[in-house]
Amino acid sequence: AAGSVGSVVRRFLAEYGSGTSSRLKVLDAYLLYVMLTGALQFGYCLGVGTFPFNSFLSGFISAVGSFILGVCLRIQINPQNKGEFQGISPERAFADFLFANTILHL
Amino acid sequence: MSSSFGARGAGVPWRTTPSLRPPPVTRWCAPGRKRRRGPAGSGNKMAAPGRRLCLVAALLLLLVGAQALAPSHHLTARDLARLRAALERPFTDLQAAYYSIVGLHSLGLRVADEKAACNFVKSHVDSSSVDSLFYAAQSIRVLSGCEVTISNETRELLLAAVSEDSSITQIFHAVGALSSFGLPLASQEALSALTARLSKEENVLATIQALETASYLSQQADLSGIVEEIEDLVARLDDLGGVYLQFEEGIETTALFAAAAYKLSDHVGTEPAMKEEQIIQLMNAIFSKKNFETLSEAFSVACAAGSLSHNRYHLPVVIVPDGPAAVSHHQPVLRLQVTNVMSKPLTQASVKLDYAKSASTKATVLQQTAFTLSGEVFELNFMNVKPASGYYDFSISVDGDNRFIANRVELKVKVSTEVGITNVDLSTVDKDQSIAPKTTRVAYPAKAKGSFTADSHQNFALSFQLIDVNSGADLIPHQTFVRLHNQKTGQEVVFVAEPDSKNVYKFELDTSERKTEFDSASGTYTLYLIIGDATLENPILWNVADVVIKFPEEDVPSTVQSKNLFVPKPEIKHLFREPEKRPPTVVSNTFTALILSPLLLLLILWIKIGANISNFSFAPSTIVFHMGHAAMLGLMYVYWTQLNMFQTLKYLAILGGVTFLAGNRMLAQKAVKR
Repeated sequence: AAGSVGSVVRRFLAEYGSGTSSRLKVLDAYLLYVMLTGALQFGYCLGVGTFPFNSFLSGFISAVGSFILGVCLRIQINPQNKGEFQGISPERAFADFLFANTILHL
Repeated sequence: MSSSFGARGAGVPWRTTPSLRPPPVTRWCAPGRKRRRGPAGSGNKMAAPGRRLCLVAALLLLLVGAQALAPSHHLTARDLARLRAALERPFTDLQAAYYSIVGLHSLGLRVADEKAACNFVKSHVDSSSVDSLFYAAQSIRVLSGCEVTISNETRELLLAAVSEDSSITQIFHAVGALSSFGLPLASQEALSALTARLSKEENVLATIQALETASYLSQQADLSGIVEEIEDLVARLDDLGGVYLQFEEGIETTALFAAAAYKLSDHVGTEPAMKEEQIIQLMNAIFSKKNFETLSEAFSVACAAGSLSHNRYHLPVVIVPDGPAAVSHHQPVLRLQVTNVMSKPLTQASVKLDYAKSASTKATVLQQTAFTLSGEVFELNFMNVKPASGYYDFSISVDGDNRFIANRVELKVKVSTEVGITNVDLSTVDKDQSIAPKTTRVAYPAKAKGSFTADSHQNFALSFQLIDVNSGADLIPHQTFVRLHNQKTGQEVVFVAEPDSKNVYKFELDTSERKTEFDSASGTYTLYLIIGDATLENPILWNVADVVIKFPEEDVPSTVQSKNLFVPKPEIKHLFREPEKRPPTVVSNTFTALILSPLLLLLILWIKIGANISNFSFAPSTIVFHMGHAAMLGLMYVYWTQLNMFQTLKYLAILGGVTFLAGNRMLAQKAVKR
């Protein structure tokens, strides 16, 4: 079982490395970064306490929001999904991403 | 319906006639006197069944408990002066002149310069207006030596106005003018026009004017229909608290109604269908207004005053004590002012005291005594019967004219006297009663020589008697206090001396019992005796003696603190909110570094993947886009440090717009390239 999990993971990574365009990989890296930041904040809060609560909230929600918007962008850019996003070009998706991020961080 | 209408002079309250006091039946039902409770409108003599009916009515009155009302407002001399001043303003126009001239005439006064008034009226009359002719006619009739000739056209105009097509006001003015000018008038036609209009115009003012108009018509015409309107109007009056009766349209309308009702009643010869209580309530309402905003208001009150003072049926009587209602040996005479509503003394009346009862014992002290007229005031020497001091209930009645109403009042009179203290004995009584008490007699107002001691062996005792100086009887005043004042600390303690069965006042000071009142403060106290009462003319504050009081040693407090309530209280320290516990700085700093590590990871990953900016084209829009975007991020930072949201939105809108356009262009180019 451990072996199968390990082999699945290895296989996944290999497929991922070859199958995804670099553009998407860049985006994935960004998403990973955001996720790590959010998780670290949450862990700190669990460990040390919720003071100051406002800061924790804003940081965490910013991380979560950014992650979600990044995911949206990834979905929209992915050529394999072109069928579902007829009217939205990747450029348009990127512009939306920027706009939404601005509003989020306002 | 109890009432105490504001002080008259000395704060002695009025009282209404109690309902259970039987009205003298003979007075009510005597033949020849004005019947007040019989069938309305008829004033004929009584037959035997009528007398029986009257007795029944008297019994019913007892049961119903109707209480007669005392007038609360009338025109005092000052009010009269104010009313006169309000009416004596210089004339502005004909209507103002009418109000002034006729108003002053109702009060029994004359205009200052009659000739000038007459000329004013004659020069301002407008022969084409019925109203103007009415004002002129009424004014001229009142002024002496004022004549005017009426042209035929004017007469035709006035006669034409008396028809069903004119309003009641027009008919009133036309009839009034014709009558005052002495011109012939067809009463029957006027009456039919009036009746026809009355059915169309139902408001109060129109009905009042109809009453006035009818008083100008000949008595041959059947005016009973109009006379019945008086009753209808009375039913429309609003009862305010049982004290006032007035129309909702206001005092002016109420006053005009009173004047018109009596004018018509006098003209027709029928008593107006108003009960005595209603007339008094009307009076209260009309004369409650002391300042007049408009000339017409002053005029209406003047007319009402005039009609309530001179009519054939009802004359309200106002009975007021002259000064405070109090008598004493210095001032033994009770003086009453008996006037009509305009404060004119009714010197022809006979004023009688029905009874005078002591308020406390209810024993009748005096009855059926007449007041004597002295000048314009009625007097009675009450001290002749040597009453004991206290309050007395007087019932006074005014007779002399059948028309008097409100002519019985109840009055509370105070009889004052002077008090004397006798048999004042100060003694120290031994507690074991082994030694005989030492008694010292003191006479008021001297002070006892030597001082007295009260301590754990002996009590201090005081006894005295209070008598009425003039009659020698024992007195029990309201306030008999013994005050002990500590000379050093300023403490004072007050006790009440109580009388025993023989009316001898006693006071005893036991140091062990009274420790707490004194706070166990030993020392020399001055003793004062305080005697006071509302009926005493000489209240007493007498320093009788010095008393040395010694309290047992163990109870002496460390310091005798005066209970000063006005020192600053101990300060309350504000407790600030405890700041929350924070983690040590080391941990926070470590974490901050930790947070930045994913960023490092991101950069490494990006480089590994091969993200680059090789496709960067230096087109203007691209540069603008990137600059705009950078600026927006910078704006975010500034927002965090300085700005508020609205300012940020403003800047963001500008930057955002620019960036958007540039970005649009850039991305479009990119798309084309692709």
